[in-house]
Amino acid sequence: MSVLEIKDLHVEVKDDEKKKMKEILKGVNLTLKTGEIHAIMGPNGTGKSTLSETIMGNPHYHVTQGDILLNGESILSMPVDERARKGLFLAMQYPAEVPGVTNAEFLRTTINVRRPKNDPMPITEFLKELDKNLDLLDMNEAMTERYLNEGFSGGEKKRNEILQLLMIKPQFAILDEIDSGLDIDALKVVARGVNAMRGDNFGSLIITHYQRLLNYIVPDVVHVMMGGRVVKDGGPELAKRLENEGYAGLRDELGLHIKLVDED
Amino acid sequence: MDEKAQLIKLSEENHEPSWLTKRREKAQEQISQLAMPKMEHFHPGDVDFANKSETICTNDASSENVTEDFETNLIQFGTDTIQTNLSPEMANKGVVLVDLFEAFRDLPDFMRKYFMTEVIKGDENKLNAEHLAYLNSGILLYIPKNVVLDDPIEVKLIQDSTKKLNWYQHLLIVADSNSSCRFLQHLTTVGEESNIANMMVEIIAKPGSHVEFSSVEELSKKTTFYFDRHANIEKDAHVEWAVGLMNSCDTLGEIDSELVGEGSYANSQLVSVTSDKQKYFINNRVTNRGPHSTGLINQRGVLLDQSKLIFNGIGQIVHGAHGSKADQQNRVLMMSPDARGDANPLLLIDENDVIAAHAASVGPVDPVQMNYLMSRGIPYDQAQRLVIRGFLGAVLDAVPDKDVRQKMIDILERKLINGQKYQAN
Repeated sequence: MSVLEIKDLHVEVKDDEKKKMKEILKGVNLTLKTGEIHAIMGPNGTGKSTLSETIMGNPHYHVTQGDILLNGESILSMPVDERARKGLFLAMQYPAEVPGVTNAEFLRTTINVRRPKNDPMPITEFLKELDKNLDLLDMNEAMTERYLNEGFSGGEKKRNEILQLLMIKPQFAILDEIDSGLDIDALKVVARGVNAMRGDNFGSLIITHYQRLLNYIVPDVVHVMMGGRVVKDGGPELAKRLENEGYAGLRDELGLHIKLVDED
Repeated sequence: MDEKAQLIKLSEENHEPSWLTKRREKAQEQISQLAMPKMEHFHPGDVDFANKSETICTNDASSENVTEDFETNLIQFGTDTIQTNLSPEMANKGVVLVDLFEAFRDLPDFMRKYFMTEVIKGDENKLNAEHLAYLNSGILLYIPKNVVLDDPIEVKLIQDSTKKLNWYQHLLIVADSNSSCRFLQHLTTVGEESNIANMMVEIIAKPGSHVEFSSVEELSKKTTFYFDRHANIEKDAHVEWAVGLMNSCDTLGEIDSELVGEGSYANSQLVSVTSDKQKYFINNRVTNRGPHSTGLINQRGVLLDQSKLIFNGIGQIVHGAHGSKADQQNRVLMMSPDARGDANPLLLIDENDVIAAHAASVGPVDPVQMNYLMSRGIPYDQAQRLVIRGFLGAVLDAVPDKDVRQKMIDILERKLINGQKYQAN
């Protein structure tokens, strides 16, 4: 079993307009084990994406306090590629487009950087694995010869993120608003992909605004984030309650003095 | 014997027609009076063409270390053509692919009409005059009327730097009306001597013809390279350039597409990678003369180490070329803080009813793309090479032959790995 621990994490980013640092995360604590699926819900502007980008190691985000441990080892000083090879994966909200590099070539590269230099995955094995996962995600084979995310629709990009997840097989996957911009059919396909990964060797942190996704990927634990902290933990029923009552109700019940971004 | 007398003697010994001997003699006299080629941001002396190598070949080439290769239609080693090999299909259709000096002997009237007369002239500048005077290697390709070739014509040109001899190499392509061909050339160097490579390409695209010219180039560091490539594109003819400058030497060069005919089309695409202390000065020029003509330029350069690159894109639409289109992109990617790159689009428009656009950029590798690739476990250097390949992809994709494209990518990969070693130090 592997463990990803986030301890008292404080993170700031540079505010491009005001040219000064702004604290987004103000002490996040969270423990995720393989075999578990956790969901993080919360209103806009509460630091959910900051948390996922910081775990993955995007250099844009600065940790000022606290730690992130993977199996007891701090990963804060590791660059993003090293964290990825250690077993972390982030399905991004806005995947970058990389023209000139085909999807298939990119996928092979991501697999082979995890293997010894003199032992790349045989091409037949790779293609077999690729076909299987394309089928699972109702993706056309032609997608693999297109350039990485270039000209992909929003839905195609999200499916492509899940295709990478299935090919790379990380220990921990963070899915950052994988449901945004998806219609219900695409949502089911994406959920099918994630559920296929479920098992003792896989843990996931699913970030979402809406409870809807959690009907298809049922989480073991639900965390609610507000004002840069985790303010409440619960089971899947917590997500259903938020869907009905909104975040303001929970905030008032907890006696928090946080202004929600979209509140009048 | 002085140089001029030597030149005349050599020309006669080669059984060259007398008009060619006279033209060489005149060019030789003009060398000292003519100026270096003019180019924006280039100052004579930026590239040193004052080379001490021999200009006249007096001994035999040593081509024993060049292996024959029957995939290739023609191989030249220095001043010698060591293999020509046209497919029966090409030969039956009347395609001509021969050593230039054989063409001077066997087709003197044809050569007198086309060789350095209407496309490139010997008195344009000092280097062109040297080329004509000292010409010592070349090829003629002729595609007859209505002949459409499915297979590309592949040529290997090997600079012989096992001895001190400058290389004056000339390719003449005449595509007759409504013909179609793809031409691929691969330039390399053998040997360690410091020589000049002064290379020219003339393309005459007759009405309705279609010519795709691709070039993979990896001349050695000790070479000093000058190239001049011009196409005259007649009515409804179509010329595409796809040039991969991967040479290791200092380079001064121009690609020039003259859209002389109505409805003519040129697409001039070029990628370059410079490393070490290399200097490249490149003009890419398209001139719309005919009405309804289309001229496209797409240049992409990657700079490593302490290299320097000037990309001038020149789109000119002359008065009378109504309904024409000129579009150009000049993009430069800086991989090193010590490199210097410049992308200069120049639009010279003397006609109202036209569409013209340009784009230019100079900048570092996109950090968003880098973060994305690295988040999948790809190490920094490898991710950087993928992004660069993507940057050059717009042009690499235009290379018609898959093997050639792969060859360009392999050379690119090698150059980038070496450049990244420099950055790490």
